[in-house]
Amino acid sequence: MPIQAPVIELSNVRFSWAAASPVVVDIETLRVANAERIFLHGPSGSGKSTLLGLLAGVVTPREGTLRVLGRDVGALGGAARDRFRADHIGFIFQMFNLIPYLSVVENVCLPCGFSARRRSHATLAGGTVEAEAVRLLDHLEMADADVLRRPVTDLSVGQQQRVAAARALIGAPELVIADEPTSALDADRRSIFLDLLFRECARDRTTLIFVSHDASLSPRFDREIPFAQINRVPSPAVAENAR
Amino acid sequence: MSQPVILALAVKSLRNRKFTAALTVLSIALAVLLLLGVERIRHESRESFAATISGTDLIVGARSSPVHLLLYSVFHIGNATNNLRWDSYRAIAAQPEVAWTIPLSLGDSHRGYRVLATTPDYFDHFRFARDRRLVLAQGKGFGDERDAILGADVADALKYRPGDPIVIAHGAGDVSFSLHEHHPFKVAGILARTGTPVDRTVHVSLAGLDAVHENTDQGGAADPLAAVVRGDRHAGAMLASTPRAITAFLVGLKSRSSALSMQRRVNEFSAEPLSAVLPGVALQEVWEITGAVEKTLFAVSGLVVIVGLAGMLVALLTSLSERRREMAILRSVGARPVHVFALILGEAAFLTAAGIILGVAALYIGLLAGQPWLESRLGLFIALSWPSVYEVGLIVVVAAAGLLIGLIPAYRIYRYSLADGMTLRI
Repeated sequence: MPIQAPVIELSNVRFSWAAASPVVVDIETLRVANAERIFLHGPSGSGKSTLLGLLAGVVTPREGTLRVLGRDVGALGGAARDRFRADHIGFIFQMFNLIPYLSVVENVCLPCGFSARRRSHATLAGGTVEAEAVRLLDHLEMADADVLRRPVTDLSVGQQQRVAAARALIGAPELVIADEPTSALDADRRSIFLDLLFRECARDRTTLIFVSHDASLSPRFDREIPFAQINRVPSPAVAENAR
Repeated sequence: MSQPVILALAVKSLRNRKFTAALTVLSIALAVLLLLGVERIRHESRESFAATISGTDLIVGARSSPVHLLLYSVFHIGNATNNLRWDSYRAIAAQPEVAWTIPLSLGDSHRGYRVLATTPDYFDHFRFARDRRLVLAQGKGFGDERDAILGADVADALKYRPGDPIVIAHGAGDVSFSLHEHHPFKVAGILARTGTPVDRTVHVSLAGLDAVHENTDQGGAADPLAAVVRGDRHAGAMLASTPRAITAFLVGLKSRSSALSMQRRVNEFSAEPLSAVLPGVALQEVWEITGAVEKTLFAVSGLVVIVGLAGMLVALLTSLSERRREMAILRSVGARPVHVFALILGEAAFLTAAGIILGVAALYIGLLAGQPWLESRLGLFIALSWPSVYEVGLIVVVAAAGLLIGLIPAYRIYRYSLADGMTLRI
């Protein structure tokens, strides 16, 4: 893919949960270039998570076009969107990111179970999927034998978020979406987490969409997008109608 | 591609909930054990009953119900209410259609085992389990009138060997005060195991039994009338030792096709009221009697299976709400709603399969362990055979029911995951 082609491209995207219900996301244009680190911020309930759902192809726009990595996601069927997400997008949630009954390494390897593309990338990079998982965990300073052995439910929140980051990054997806991943961390740990995440994203030229309501993080990103400015639906209305 | 992942996830998720999963598996296993156990014992007891007598066309005794006659003459369950006269027996045995007859005289016992007085014809003509004949494991057949031939269980339990003396007692009880001590028998032979009531029977010759009772008379023990009043089953033999009376007799016909006409002739026998039964027909009547009980047992075990599977449904459904987050995580890493569906269905399938395997294993272990007990206490020999087609059918029904029940939570989580997408609401 040419470097100049935008990773994300929205034009006149409107979304509502049901045909008759009020529009919660209405974005005229949004473009994100390759390897860009975007800081998307806005108050809770402003529709940010809905936008992430659109980008991930969990929901599709009612109007307008939404292209991710050049693909018209809105035009794809449900199964194709799921496959597209598995192949190209890594996710980090706010908290409770991990499957409690899987080990640290199994959690990290999970996306490779659903995507042949990411499995082959991971194998290429690390020899085996598991080795690549350990390598990523090592980069995120999470590869102590002690940490790897522990049940994921025994890890601290900061450690859990790093495991989630490794899972989002394994198999080199082009796009990583992080939905308030640091909100449960204190300032020091937040900073360390961001350092590690940036380093890994830079290595594979991964595009990062980082969502937070904490504007103090903004200076560390390439670009800041205040969600209230791109969403033409006023926040309170969104908050009222958000499910 | 992702099927192995889903399967591995299902197994690991169950392992994470070991306790509930183990309880669910246990309840399904017990239900399967009960269902198959009831069916196995029902089937085997029928087989075993049906195998007790073979090749006999008619059983003739004093007038009574067919089931009663069959039970006391062949299975040694209950007692005859009346004997039949020896000359009646001879008259019927002399009919041209009759190929052979075996006279049977019951009523005495030896240490709790029934004594059957008969003739050497018994060992020539009696057949069980599809035309198998009685075979001596040790010793020899009837020589003189003091010889006794023991069934395998009698010899095993009482540790008899050929040559040992035995004393038979009046009546069928374990303890009798009327021992025929002055007329001991001698163990001549021991029969090979048959898995039928023959194993628990002491066989003596009719002549020997008569000698016992004649001796009793000489001992001045009995006024014949008093014996009748006491319900003495050898009363007939004592009143008129020649011709004697017997309890019943088995008839083999030259041609099977004359069985019905022969039966009618016996039932209309003018000299005394007699009954003739076709063993198969009488067995059928026994099944009709036991059928209701069997159906009830089957229904109860069927309900237990439903309860076991309902337990699984409850366990899966209650886990769902706390697992919505897990499903959202799986969706975020690329799992499709159908994978989420398959994960829960896979768990149900795994629980059901584990329950069935454990239940079947428990059945065989139980049969193996219970075999000697069932055989010695109930005379029920249960062969350790592979599951029958019917049993496999039952297993398939349980498995299908398990999957069907698994569809309920699977569909719910499928709907959740469609609606939730990746929004992680706690």
